[in-house]
This record gives sequence, structure tokens and C-alpha cells, in this order.
Amino acid sequence: MATTVLNSHPKPRAPATPTDVLPTDAAQLYTHIHPILVLSLYALQFPSIVADPVPALATALVPLGILQIAYVAICLPPTGGTATPVVDKKKPGSGAGEKGKKGGMRGTIIPGFLSLIVVSIVIAPLLAAILVLFGAPLTTHHAHTLLAAAHISFLATLPLVYVHGVDGAAWRDIIALLRPVDEVYGGMIGGVVGAWLGAVPIPLDWDREWQKWPVTIVSGAYVGWAVGKMVGGFLKGRKIGFE
Amino acid sequence: MDNGEPAPSYEGIAASFAKAKAEQEQQESQGLKPTSNDAAAAKKQSEIQFKAAHGLLVAFLSLIMLLQLLGIYLFTSGFLLTRFTFDYKSECAVPPVYTSARTYTAGTPERGCWHPRTFDKAIVILIDALRYDFTIPSSSEGATEKPHHFHNAFPVLYEAAVEQPRNAFLLPFIADAPTATMQRLKGLTTGTLPAFVDAGSNFAGTVIEEDNLISQLKNASKRIVHLGDDTWHALFPDHFDPELTRPYDSFNVWDLHTVDNGVTDHILPLMHASNTSKWDVVIGHYLGVDHAGHRYGPDHPAMAAKLKQMDDVIRRMIEQLDDSTLLVVMGDHGMDAKGDHGGESDDEIQAALWMYSKQERFGRSSPSFNTPPATAKERPVAQIDLVPTLSLLLGMPIPFNNLGKPIEEAFIGTQGIDYENLATVNRLTSAQIYRYQQEYASVQSMDEAARAASLTSFNHANEAWDSTGTKSKSEEYAHVYAMYQTYQQETLDICKAMWASFDVPRMLHGVEILAFSLIMLAIYARGLTGDLSELSPVLLARGGIGALLGALVGFGVSSAIPDVPTQHAIIYAAAIFGNLGIASAFWYLRRRLVSVLPNSVWGYLSVIFTLLLSVGFAANSFTIWEDEILLHFLSTFGFLAALSSLRQPRTTDRVLGVYHSVLFVILTRLASLSRLCREEQMPFCKSTYYASATSSTSATWQLAIPFIVALLLPTFIRGYYEGTLSYQNSAVMWLGFGLRFGLLLSAAYWALDAADDGDWYPGFSGMLKTSKTIIAQLTLAIAVGVGYPTFTWAKPLLNIEEGKSHTPHPAKQIVPSGGRSSIAILGYNNVHGSRYALLITVWYLATALLQKPMGAGALALCCWQIFSLLEIIATNHLAHSSIGPVILGLLGSFHFFKTGHQAALSSIQWESAFIPLHTIRYPWSPLLVVLNTFGAQILCAVAVPALVLWKQPPRKAGLLGDVARATATHVLFYATVNLATTMWAGHLRRHLMLYRIFSPRFMMGALVLVIVDAVGIFVAVGGTRMSFLSVGEVFGVA
Repeated sequence: MATTVLNSHPKPRAPATPTDVLPTDAAQLYTHIHPILVLSLYALQFPSIVADPVPALATALVPLGILQIAYVAICLPPTGGTATPVVDKKKPGSGAGEKGKKGGMRGTIIPGFLSLIVVSIVIAPLLAAILVLFGAPLTTHHAHTLLAAAHISFLATLPLVYVHGVDGAAWRDIIALLRPVDEVYGGMIGGVVGAWLGAVPIPLDWDREWQKWPVTIVSGAYVGWAVGKMVGGFLKGRKIGFE
Repeated sequence: MDNGEPAPSYEGIAASFAKAKAEQEQQESQGLKPTSNDAAAAKKQSEIQFKAAHGLLVAFLSLIMLLQLLGIYLFTSGFLLTRFTFDYKSECAVPPVYTSARTYTAGTPERGCWHPRTFDKAIVILIDALRYDFTIPSSSEGATEKPHHFHNAFPVLYEAAVEQPRNAFLLPFIADAPTATMQRLKGLTTGTLPAFVDAGSNFAGTVIEEDNLISQLKNASKRIVHLGDDTWHALFPDHFDPELTRPYDSFNVWDLHTVDNGVTDHILPLMHASNTSKWDVVIGHYLGVDHAGHRYGPDHPAMAAKLKQMDDVIRRMIEQLDDSTLLVVMGDHGMDAKGDHGGESDDEIQAALWMYSKQERFGRSSPSFNTPPATAKERPVAQIDLVPTLSLLLGMPIPFNNLGKPIEEAFIGTQGIDYENLATVNRLTSAQIYRYQQEYASVQSMDEAARAASLTSFNHANEAWDSTGTKSKSEEYAHVYAMYQTYQQETLDICKAMWASFDVPRMLHGVEILAFSLIMLAIYARGLTGDLSELSPVLLARGGIGALLGALVGFGVSSAIPDVPTQHAIIYAAAIFGNLGIASAFWYLRRRLVSVLPNSVWGYLSVIFTLLLSVGFAANSFTIWEDEILLHFLSTFGFLAALSSLRQPRTTDRVLGVYHSVLFVILTRLASLSRLCREEQMPFCKSTYYASATSSTSATWQLAIPFIVALLLPTFIRGYYEGTLSYQNSAVMWLGFGLRFGLLLSAAYWALDAADDGDWYPGFSGMLKTSKTIIAQLTLAIAVGVGYPTFTWAKPLLNIEEGKSHTPHPAKQIVPSGGRSSIAILGYNNVHGSRYALLITVWYLATALLQKPMGAGALALCCWQIFSLLEIIATNHLAHSSIGPVILGLLGSFHFFKTGHQAALSSIQWESAFIPLHTIRYPWSPLLVVLNTFGAQILCAVAVPALVLWKQPPRKAGLLGDVARATATHVLFYATVNLATTMWAGHLRRHLMLYRIFSPRFMMGALVLVIVDAVGIFVAVGGTRMSFLSVGEVFGVA
């Protein structure tokens, strides 16, 4: 994070605008179906995740990744795409950005897939480290923590990477909660807050299987993401003030 | 606020203003002499004003503290049930009866001390958690209910009692809560009731120092063999025969058989005729039934198997028993439907008692009593009744504190008519109870009316006894017996009322006072605009007058209405009127009132953290895992601080803010690795504080921690000073040398301590002991004798650099002087913060010495985090927010756990009293334990004023008011936690986890509040007097 700050450009940038869902019928429809699909899938796998988290969470990543790629490909403008006209495109970033302008399947599926790779390689490990900082076991349960981080980052950050690429200035604004709210951004904030709240039931002495690490925070992230995505859609364009 | 920024140009109005100001300051600082007499007089004047404002502020904050103290006192006196214990021991040769007309007048254990003994030897079998209904046939004959697994599996006791009523009896055996084994063993051996605080000579340890049956046996040179549960050894160290005793670990609840098989394997050989001369009393403590209950619950085949095994063992014992030995089988408590225990539900308190003898010794007062009671509600005996019964049967004196009564079946004779004997033993017991009651009345006030009534009963009983003669009939003795029983019951009721019932009105009024003063404090801290220090006079006057008036009203009411207790009324009225006085002052100041509700993310975050934590204390899980919750909260703060820093418009703020936020989070996680788990956290927690989970000494590698701290911490703190070029003058001497030397000494202390403990250098033990104590005293002398004077009298940490290169140093304050040359005041930007923060390091040195090596490391991280927090607050412009003081509260609470403590009495490190002292000395020893226990909270409380002083302009107005606001907010955090824990403890006073979880957390909350109050007011706010006057010497008092 610190390096991002140092590199941040002093020159004024155009004000950030909320991300719009693509105006196609499919996009408008699927953006509402998507959370239902994702949550249903999770609910379906929940018993096996509780029974044995590591293999079940690993397996669950595949359909989650596919659904998320489908979501971004159908509903969202890729980074540098024409649907985000105001975003500064002089620095399209690497990887995900380059294919952006081409449109069609290649213009959406491939950036979606590249976003998935960026998320898996960069964001998920970073998130795992943050989970450890927040109290996840340091010496044990590494696979659990990493998989939890993967689920949260697939949910919360994959669409953001797809939309904003790896533009440092944009990501600084994202982390600093300076961007205007939209459903993608709301999904991320909701997912993180949900994961945070998911830690609450862990210490309770209810002796339930589902209290085991990391079931609650993954569940919290799923629910929080869905709620955040919806709320973000409603409050589109609002900004978050600290004061 | 712009003074915190570098001033790269001299353009604009602000610059010319700054220039004019700087010129004046330069004149003053250059010559350090007043420019004119007027200026000197004005300075003197403002200094006097400052001192007055400061004194009034301290006085007002003390008033708030007083109100909180009154609330805590009132609640505590109604809630904490204290029982005083005596060191007196009953003596064999001194029976408690006055008239020895026809009574037995012997005094040797061989024949019987106060009464002829019935048995020479005894085997006492304690089957943990043996519930009464396990031992009787299933009562639901013919009923639809099917017998449970625990039914009819252990019939031997019942059969013996029915078939041989003169050899055996079986009765329900009622335990007093808490039904935990250790508390029960206390009751079963001392004959007294448990209270939360057994205030006696040994507060900390588990050793029973009250008079008890085991000690009496030992004093009479009886050989006692113990087999089974090792809890007995914690209670009675060195009481048992070392050769024959076999203790087993009691903690492994999953293991049903090791302890039981061990007891059986050893007890049966001991009962062999060739071995019976080797012992007088055998205590066998079986755990299998209890463990089966915990693991499977009572209605499970494993329980039936376990009970059948017990049945078999007891049958074999009956076979082997000789004629002169008494066999006792009993449970110490029952178990609930899930197989757990601790509370006071019927299933948990109803245990079984069975006594057996090969010779005919026992009887019943009615033939219908030959069959044991069908339910535990009929003819129950109390567990404390075992103590006088067993004492008299074995010819021992009755322990001094005993409140139990002899069991009828054991003394009534085989015909069931020997009321003379029954009257005699009850007279002895009553006389001992009377003796105890007289002693107790001298230390704690009892209910006088009830006590007088019980004394009358005692006198009547004695008169009735005196009127009997050699020819008296058994009816007369039955009458005497009944009268003594009345007296015993009355005394027991008085004691139960005294030790086991809460004074709810006092508790409620205490909570009311705490809640009212919390609201006043909240308004003061967050609901007033402007400079708080101006408001002290009106607040203090009205609050003080209110409190005095209230005290008078309370006194008047209690004199007018006789039923109202005086002390209670005075305290309650004084506190309420004091708060009303403060409220009236707020009304007077209503134009300055604003909403106390938060108006920013940070305000909400402070409120959410505080409330979540406070609400969580209502659940035992959240109380148990408080350390992890605090870690979660602190990480959340650091995370949000990083986000907030990224939002700052200026690059330096962003970089510094993000760096310190990330550092804060990492240091928090690093500190969290130091853990001392409480029992309830097992098995999900691994202690790292000591060498191992079962030791209380540090590992060798941990000894390196204090040395690393001594090398690095002063350097890190120096870094925070150098950021504003404040590493000048006294800071160089103290941080660079004094603090480091002190920390090295404290590291040396712990190395010597380990060498002494581990006996690394045999033969030098005496030298090690002396030198380590001297080193510890020297360390404290450096903190108190060097650190404090440095803080008190140091000049501000400024230096002046002339001419030359002023442009490359953006952090300097550039002062143009006549346009030709320039000088720079180094350290100008943080003159208040750097000056005050010296105090944090002084307190760090004092508290770090008293922590174990791991704790010194944790506290060093705490100190480092405090400085990072100061930077975060400064770069995010949060000096006026509530978040800083609240985070310091969370940080102090967090490091309380990281310095090897828990909210449990057992985690108090009493040995820290002996670090700089050889013997207990008042008031120093308790003070040292407090510094050890609450070192983290104290350190954080000291740091509170630094939040509003760090990187603030030297002449900023209203700084004292800011200090008051920050301190009040900090206290508000602890006051909220205290109110919550108080309310939960009061509300959950019948909860089975009260003694283990809620009470200790309440006590800790109250203690921490009082300590933070005192430190915040007298050390922190008190300390700002020195630092403000010191800065004022140069810049004038704002």
C-alpha cells in the first residue's frame, strides 16, 4: 500500500464515476440473478464445507470463479472498455487491460479470466495475510485461511479488477473508500464487512460444527457481498465520508 | 492547525503573521529573558492562571472519580459475599463445653478427644458426582417411564442399608453451591459454607488454612493415605503419607479409567490384614463417574458400566473390611441432565452418603427409616454434617469453623433410642458453633436480631441440658437434642444469609450511581464545546455542593426513618445529589451543549467498539475470549486508519499515516503471540507466556527479550523524536542513556532471577538473591529518581541552529532575523508532545521491570504502539476525536492479557511483590502487584494527554481543555465497561459461571476504572502541569 501512495500522481485526475452495469438486457437481468445463483450454490455446498472445509472450499472455488467470470463478462464493462468513458485510460495497466477494447467474447471472457489470475496471485495471498493480522491462526490452518481469502477475494475483488484493472491510482481510491458507490464497489465493501462480522460467532460456546475456522467468515463474506452489492446498486453515486 | 506544516515560502497573510509571531518567539528564545517588565508580569499572571485552572480541573475530575467510587462501593458491598476465615484450631484437650458434670472428660485421640470414639480407622471413598438417584432403585415401578442407564446399576449401598440397617445407612447428601470439586472438598473437610471471597491469611493460594478434619487427623499423628484426584494435594499439601499416597491428574475428562483403576489397585491391598497397620485413614477419590457424565451424560451405557464397576469395587471392600474400620462412600455433588455441574440445581446438589461398619453401630429413630429415602427431598443431610460426624466417630475435635451437625443415624445407637448420646454430641457441636459465632461476630457485623434469637435458643438448650440428670428419660434428651438442633439451624441460616444472599437494594443503587455518573461524564467528555478547562469552577462548585447537600439529606432521612440504614442512605444521596449538581451545571452551560452522539466514522467506531465489548461481557464466551476480541478491534482500527491515511490530501501525511497504521497492526499481531490461557480457553489456546503450559518460569530464550528491548526500544522512540527534530537536551540524556541503562538493568535482573531459580550456579544463591534485589531497586530508582526529575524540570526539547542551510530541512521552523541571517528552532513542531511523552517512557521503565521477560516485551510493543498511535492521530487530524482515547483503552486492555494476565484471580502474579523487596511491606507490596497486573492500562492512561499534544503548535489555545476532554473520554471507556460488567454480574448473580467468569471480570472492571481514574487524573493530567509550565517558560502559557 505504501508504494502505491508514493507513486500516486500529483496532477489532478478526472473525478471517478460509478460503474454502470452494461445496458444490454442480459446484463440487466443477470446482475440480479447472479447473487441468487452464487448464494444458492454456497448454501448447497455448506454442509460439506462444514464437514471438511479444505477440500470443500477448494472445490467450491471452481464454480464460484466460473460464475464470477460469467457475471463480469455479461454485466460489466472491462477495464479500459468503452462503457467507462470518464475513467482515465492513458495507463491501461497490464494484462487485463490490453484486451479491453476488442469487445465480443474475447473482449470479455479473457479479461475476466485474467482478472481471476490477478486476484488469485496477488489479492488472495494479501488478504490471507490480513486475515492472519486480524487473528487467524499463524502457525496452523494455512490452507483454511488461504482458501477463505480466495473465496472472499473472488467475491469481493474480482469484479473490481475486471473494471479497474491494476491502475494504482484507482486502487488507492478503492482502498481509501474514495470512489463513488456502485454495485461492484458495494459488493466489495459488503464482503469485507460481512467477513468481519462473521468472526463474531466464533468464540461462542454453542459447540456447533459450523463455528469452526473459517466457515463463519466465509459465510459472512457471501452474505455481506450479496447485501453490499444490492445496497451499492441502490446508493449508486454516493460517496463515503469519514467526517 | 497549519503550524504542523513546513513553511516553504513567506507569502500571504498567514506567512506574515507567522513571521511576526516567530520574531517574538525568537527574541524570547534567543535571550531566554523577558523583553520588558510588563511582559514578565503578564507571563507570571498567565502562569498563575494556568496553575489555578489546572488545579480546579484536577479537583473536578477527582469529584467524578469520587462519584464512581461511591457507586462501586455500594454495589460491591451488596454483591461480593465475604467470609472471614480464622487461623484458630480446635484442640483435643479443650472441649468447647463449660459444665463437665456428667460429660466425658478425656482429651486424647486414642480414646477420643471430646467424645469416646467409635472407630479406630476409616476408609473414605469419594465417588465424584455420585448423584443420589444413582444409588437407589428406579422409583418409577410400573410407571410408563423406562429406567435410565444410571438406574439400578449401583445397588450395593441400598441393599446393605435395607438388609443390615444397624451396619449401614444411606441418605441424600446435599451440597452447597458452587458444586465444583474443589469448593466441595473445602466444605467436606472444614464444615463451612463457601463464599466468593474467603478473606484470610492466604488470599491467593488454594491451600486450606482453616481448621479442618484432615489437619486435625494429621496433628493427631494419624497416617492418612490419599488415592485418586490430585485436587486434594493442592488443598492439603504434605498432609498425606508420602509412601502410600498415589495422586492422579484430574483434568483429563476424556479418560474414564486411569484414575479409578489406580485407586482400586492400591486400595484393596491396603485393606489386606497385613497392611492395615500402615494407615489410619484412607481417602480414595474416584473420578470415572464424573468424567463419564461430562463426556457422555448420565443416561448412557458408559455410565451404567461405570456404576457397575463401582458396585463391584464397593462389594469387594465390604468383604475385606475389618471390624474396627468405618467405610464411608459419598458423592461430592451430583450432575445435571447433561452430566455437568457447578451450579445449584437439584440434580447438581443431590449427592449420596453411605456409611458402613462390620459391627452394629448405627440406628434409626423410626423403623420406617430403615429403607433409604425414595427421593433426595426426604431426610436429607447437608454435606457439612459429615465433618462433626466423622470427627466424633474417629475421636477427633470438631474443626473450629464447622457449622454442620452430627448425623442422627450415626449416634442414636442400634436400638434407635439413645437420645442421651445424641444430645451429648449435639451439645458439643453447638458449643463449638457458639465459640465460632462469638469469634465471627467480632470481625463482621451480623444480623443482630437473628443473632440474639439464636443465642436465646442456645441458652434455652443449655438450661434444658442442665436440668437433665442421671435418671432422665430419653424423651427429655430428645427434647434437648431438638433444642440444640434448633440453635444449629438458626446459626446456619444466619451464616447463609450473610454469605450467600445478595443485598439487592445496595446493588441496584450502586448501578444507578454508576449509570448517572457515566452520563455526566459522557456529556462532559463529548457534549460540550469550547475549552473545557474554563468550566471546572462551575462544575466543581455545583457538583461538590450537591454531594455535600446529598450527604446531609441522606443523614437526615436515615435519622428520621429508622429502617433506612445510615451509611447506605448517605452514600446514595451524596452520589445522586452530586450528579444532580453537575447536571445543573450543564443546564447553566446549556448554550455550549452539543449532541453527544458521534458525528464521524471515528466517533461511531469509538462507540461501536466500546458498546460491543460491553454488551459482550454478558456472555461468558465473549468474556473468556476478550483478548482475541481486542485483537480483532485493534486490527480493525489500524486497518481503517490506513484507509483514512490514504484519504489525506498531503503526501507526507499519507506516507506517515499508512506506515504507522500498518506498523500498528503488525505490532498488535506480534504482541498477540504472547498468551497466558485461562482454563476455559482450553484446548483452543496455547500458553506461550512461560516456558510451558504447566510452568510459571520463563524459558531461557525469553530472557533475551528484555535485552533486545533495552537495545532497540530507546532507538525506536528516538526515531519518533527525530521526526520533528525533538531529540534534544534532556531527551538525549534520558532516552539515549537513562532509559536504556534502566532497561538493561531490568534485563539483568531477570537473567539473575532465572539463574537463581534454576540454580545455575550452586553455592552462589545468596549472592544472586541479594544482587538481583539491589538491581531491581536500582532500576526503580532510575525511573523515580532520574526519570521523574528529568520530566519535571527539563527544558522544552528545543535547539537553535543558526544560518546556513535552512532550505533542505523542511521540518524546521525558519525564523528570519532582520532579513540578513536566519535561525531555526529545532523541535518547534512538536514541543508539547515531545516534552510530555517523556513521562510515558518513565512509566514504561517502572512497569517493565515488574513484568516477566515476555511481559516486558509485550509492554515494549505497547509503548511502541502508543507512539505509532500518536503519529496516526496527528497525521489524520484526530486529536479532538474520541477514537484516540478509546483505542488507548483497548490497547491497555489488550496488553493486560499480553502481560500474562487474565480476568481470573488465579492469574495474579503475586510474586511480583518480591522483585525489589525481600519481605512484604505496606504500602509498597500491594502497589507493586498493581503495577504488575495493570501495568498496560496504567501505561496507556499516562499516554492519553500525548494524543492531543503530539505535533500541536506551541501556543495553541485550549490545550488543557483538550487534555481534560481526552482524559475524560479515556475514563469514559473504562466506566462503560465497568458499568456493563457490574450490571451483568448483578443480573447473572445466580448464573453458574458467576464465580468463575462474571465476578472476576466485574472486580477487574471496577479495579481498572479506579486505577485509571487515579493515574489519569494525578499522573497524566497532573503531569501536563509540568510539561505545560516548561513549554510556557519559552513560549508563554497559552
